[in-house]
Amino acid sequence: MAEEEHHPVKLSLPLEFQQDIFQEIRAEDELLIIAKGLGLLRIVTNLLHSYDAAGNNLIIIVGANDRENGWIGEFLAEHATISKAPKARGLSLVNTQMASLVSRQKLYAHGGILSITSQILIVDLLSGVLPPGNVTGMVVLHAERVSATSIESFVLREYRQHNKVGFLKAFSDSPESFTYGFSPLATMMRNLFLQKTLLYPRFQLDVIKSLEGQKKAEVIELEVPMTESMATIQAAILECVEASVSDLKKGNTGLDMSDWNLDNALQGNFDQRVMRQLNPVWHRLHPRTKQVAADLRTLRSMLSYLVTFDPVQFLKYLDTVLAASQPKNPNSKANQSPWLFLDAATTIFETAKQRVYAGKMVDNGPPLNKAATEAIRPTLEELPKWVVLSEVLDEIERDVYFNPVVDDSSGSIMIMCSNHETCAQLKEYLKRRQLVEDAEDEESEPHFAASFMLKDKLRSYIYWKRAFAKMNDSLKADVAQSMESKGEAQRDAPRRGPPNKRRRVRGGAASASTASRIETSRTAGDKEAHLASLLENEVQAVGADGLPEEEVVVDPLSDKDTYFELLEMQDLIIVHPYDGDIDEHAIEEVRPRYVIMYEPEAAFIRRVEVYRSSHTDRNIRVYFMYYKDSVEEQMYLASVRREKDAFTKLIRERGNMAITIDNAKLDPEEAFLRTINTRIAGGGRVAAATAERPRVVVDTREFRSSLPSLVNARGMDVVPCMLTVGDYVLTPDICVERKSISDLIGSLNNGRLFNQAETMLEHYKFPMLLIEFDQTRSFTLDPFTDLSAGPQSALSSAPDLQSKIVLLTLAFPRMRIIWSSSPYQTAEIFEELKKLNDEPDPRKAVNMGIQEGDDAETVRPFNQLPIDMLREIPGINEKNITRLSLDITNIHELANYEEDDICAMVGREAGRQIYRFFNRNIGRD
Amino acid sequence: VQQPKPQPLANGPSTASILVSTRQKGNPILNHIRNMPWEYADIPADYVLGATTCALFLSLKYHKLHPEYVYGRIRALQGKYNLRILLTMVDVEAHEECLKELSKTSLINNVTIILAWSAPEAGRYLELYKTYENAAFTSIKGHQSTNFSDRLVEFVTVPRSVNKTDALGLVSNFGTIRTAINAQPEEISLIAGWGEKKVQRWCGAVREPFR
Repeated sequence: MAEEEHHPVKLSLPLEFQQDIFQEIRAEDELLIIAKGLGLLRIVTNLLHSYDAAGNNLIIIVGANDRENGWIGEFLAEHATISKAPKARGLSLVNTQMASLVSRQKLYAHGGILSITSQILIVDLLSGVLPPGNVTGMVVLHAERVSATSIESFVLREYRQHNKVGFLKAFSDSPESFTYGFSPLATMMRNLFLQKTLLYPRFQLDVIKSLEGQKKAEVIELEVPMTESMATIQAAILECVEASVSDLKKGNTGLDMSDWNLDNALQGNFDQRVMRQLNPVWHRLHPRTKQVAADLRTLRSMLSYLVTFDPVQFLKYLDTVLAASQPKNPNSKANQSPWLFLDAATTIFETAKQRVYAGKMVDNGPPLNKAATEAIRPTLEELPKWVVLSEVLDEIERDVYFNPVVDDSSGSIMIMCSNHETCAQLKEYLKRRQLVEDAEDEESEPHFAASFMLKDKLRSYIYWKRAFAKMNDSLKADVAQSMESKGEAQRDAPRRGPPNKRRRVRGGAASASTASRIETSRTAGDKEAHLASLLENEVQAVGADGLPEEEVVVDPLSDKDTYFELLEMQDLIIVHPYDGDIDEHAIEEVRPRYVIMYEPEAAFIRRVEVYRSSHTDRNIRVYFMYYKDSVEEQMYLASVRREKDAFTKLIRERGNMAITIDNAKLDPEEAFLRTINTRIAGGGRVAAATAERPRVVVDTREFRSSLPSLVNARGMDVVPCMLTVGDYVLTPDICVERKSISDLIGSLNNGRLFNQAETMLEHYKFPMLLIEFDQTRSFTLDPFTDLSAGPQSALSSAPDLQSKIVLLTLAFPRMRIIWSSSPYQTAEIFEELKKLNDEPDPRKAVNMGIQEGDDAETVRPFNQLPIDMLREIPGINEKNITRLSLDITNIHELANYEEDDICAMVGREAGRQIYRFFNRNIGRD
Repeated sequence: VQQPKPQPLANGPSTASILVSTRQKGNPILNHIRNMPWEYADIPADYVLGATTCALFLSLKYHKLHPEYVYGRIRALQGKYNLRILLTMVDVEAHEECLKELSKTSLINNVTIILAWSAPEAGRYLELYKTYENAAFTSIKGHQSTNFSDRLVEFVTVPRSVNKTDALGLVSNFGTIRTAINAQPEEISLIAGWGEKKVQRWCGAVREPFR
């Protein structure tokens, strides 16, 4: 640490264990795994700052996301001034393809701390824009994401191979990710080229000593009981989950399903675990099983929405779920969700409706049956947490009044919740509460605010529902039309049960919104109108009761011009969503006296503990609320338990890992060379030394996949280039277009593959299509269309994947197909194909497909995502897509063009179609 | 195993049916050619699927025992036929080595490999080749679904993690796609099911430059 004496670096690590970590990680290359909420980013930034202050270096951050970059940048700039380090250069970002090669080169030459997107980093490392030898060190964030096939591990391998002196430090705050598979920690260490691990769970002795000393944060837990209807809905959803899980079990007897039960089903990663089991056999599964697996996810999100959404919003969500689960083809039951047929599903929709409005709506009754609709009245149940929140705020007010504490905290109140939606909901609630209080002074009624807010929401809900019903209608009409045009086959098919069944399922619940059938839709609209007018009266009646309506909708900014004043911090209530490590920043800045955690989150409690322990003179009180006996509570407890178990496992594995550490000390390059040359025995090395190293030209966009990394691992040089034709060029004659199964389906559907094949055929002697299967999935295609339905249906129905492959080979008989079960195998096949052939010339490969006269602008590669979206728009075809993508910047711009402008670009017919696609109002016509 | 008798020609010239080499007698995939007529013939290939298309059948299990067999058969084709399919049945677990070798072979010997995992699938491929013998390639040239709702859902669900429910929610809230595209992230995040990441992806996608 002699360096530091020259440049005294000011650190901001108040807690002892944080300083320990800093010292240790500064001294050695290590992987740090720390419990969430213990200030990981703070440690990282301090570390970076200590290097930054020393100056004259090139440090690369791998794996940071935008927000982390923002924070690191801010922190470095701030601390550069604090410690008066003249050499500090702060953080530079390299994150888009937009940054040109020249400016990147300049940045690398200039040095400092750079945060680079892995995809760009690997391309620059390989192409020599950033020579690995020039790098002082690398810092890997989110180390849990580095797997054997990820780009990050490719980056690290490339770096370690060419640079053995630079440092390498990895960080992770997600111990749970290190518990899957066989000896996960050892595997990870190998991928990271590291030998030592530092584990800091919350139950580590130093951490406990630091956090549970004199200055403990005051935490008050509030158990909020759920309302009866919420409990009913929850029970019903759980019943559906249970039914779905047992459905899965019944349909798939060959799998290990010992841990598929209701308890586990509530845990955060349950669907991932189910998918992991199902993926290897995915293609052999019955469509019903796939549907159920998807349903599980929907049901689980319903569970969490039940406690976070207000009743109206929840009902709205259910409506959309129902609409989305309608089968595309009314004659097939294929994509019907089984849970919709359960009694419990009816309970869910019924009860959800009853929370919003009551009354009998006879589903099949005549349109304007007075007797049926008169009984409708809004019930509008408010969320129990709102009441508690209101009470807590009152208590805080009293507390501030009676026992004022003078300290360094700002006295403001911070309300924490899980996401922006809840944030918005709470803000609105609090605003209403304030208005109501102002209006009624002393005798304020807490329930009033909520019911007022809900009523507003209900009114907008009714408008929405009307539009929604119409949208469903017009969409269905569309489908019906296209169905009819499809002709006899469909009409002859026996009408199966669904229409009737659906009716029963929906019950009275969301009748109007889901009025998918044309015959009931008009009815629905009328009922809606009636309901709306009823409500209108209701609200006006309330207004007459003493609170004029205008006062509620008064714009808070309307009296802005009368006076301005600065708000005191202590008057502020701040509503904020949980946001990982950034929360720490928020607490530090706000210095709240009171924190209300609207939803439980273990990491945030720790952050508060860290905050409290870091400052002697700031008091803080935390109210922590959760629904009693709810899934929310269970999930919270389970997540805490999982983290603890993960750490215990990691500690045990580290204890037993002695041998692996010795192995890992081998020179990585040496170990790496050994693995590649075992097949070729002695001769291979000699040949490699004398002859040219095998080379593969790879399109830069392909670096998103793991194949380039694996190709490189097999001893071939990877040359990144911007290719117009093909993805990989193996020899001067062989060009390969890689397609994963999902890509293949997509690009066959939208015709992209047809064009790609055409251009490949034009420029190469041996164009090849590589169909690459996922390693974790089964090596089979989807079972083809059911043939048992009869000879006619097999050929007349929409062509499946197999028939499209057949068509493709018929269209391009010269194109070869490579079938590969995994990227690993692809790499081997590439090696085989290259044997005894010449090496490709990168320059030639780049120029392939570029016509003479094309300027540099036209050949710049396009971004796949917006182009794919563009392709879906009616009226767009392969001819005008190039034109449009050159003339228009993005979809946003296209959507806002006037009809004439579009027509001028692509012609009248297509232009009208495009314009209509964007501007057709689904609710109204 | 009871082999089906060659079916008599329904009508028309013999080109309407799949020609099967007598070598293929006893092959279980013949049981699964049901939608197309087929007949035995004396041909160098195993199947003739059209004027310029032929197929050789190869079971990987057999290939492992007699690796030289397939090369002899390919040689016997004598460079005839424009599209030469090597219909390969994957009936062994350890298929990697064989497939690697066959990939190389396909390049040198000018055959196209098609993999099938079961006899019905192989049979279906043969039928398909015959069916599409003279077909136009419209279905792989691009989407032609014309109904608005499909297009709408397809369009909105292009960005990753946006699903059908989200698509309907989005458009039902904003009325037109144009307004949905113009909407601010904060407005979208108020829609049920649109979490922060989804909103970011959507807004990013519609504003991401094409080039």
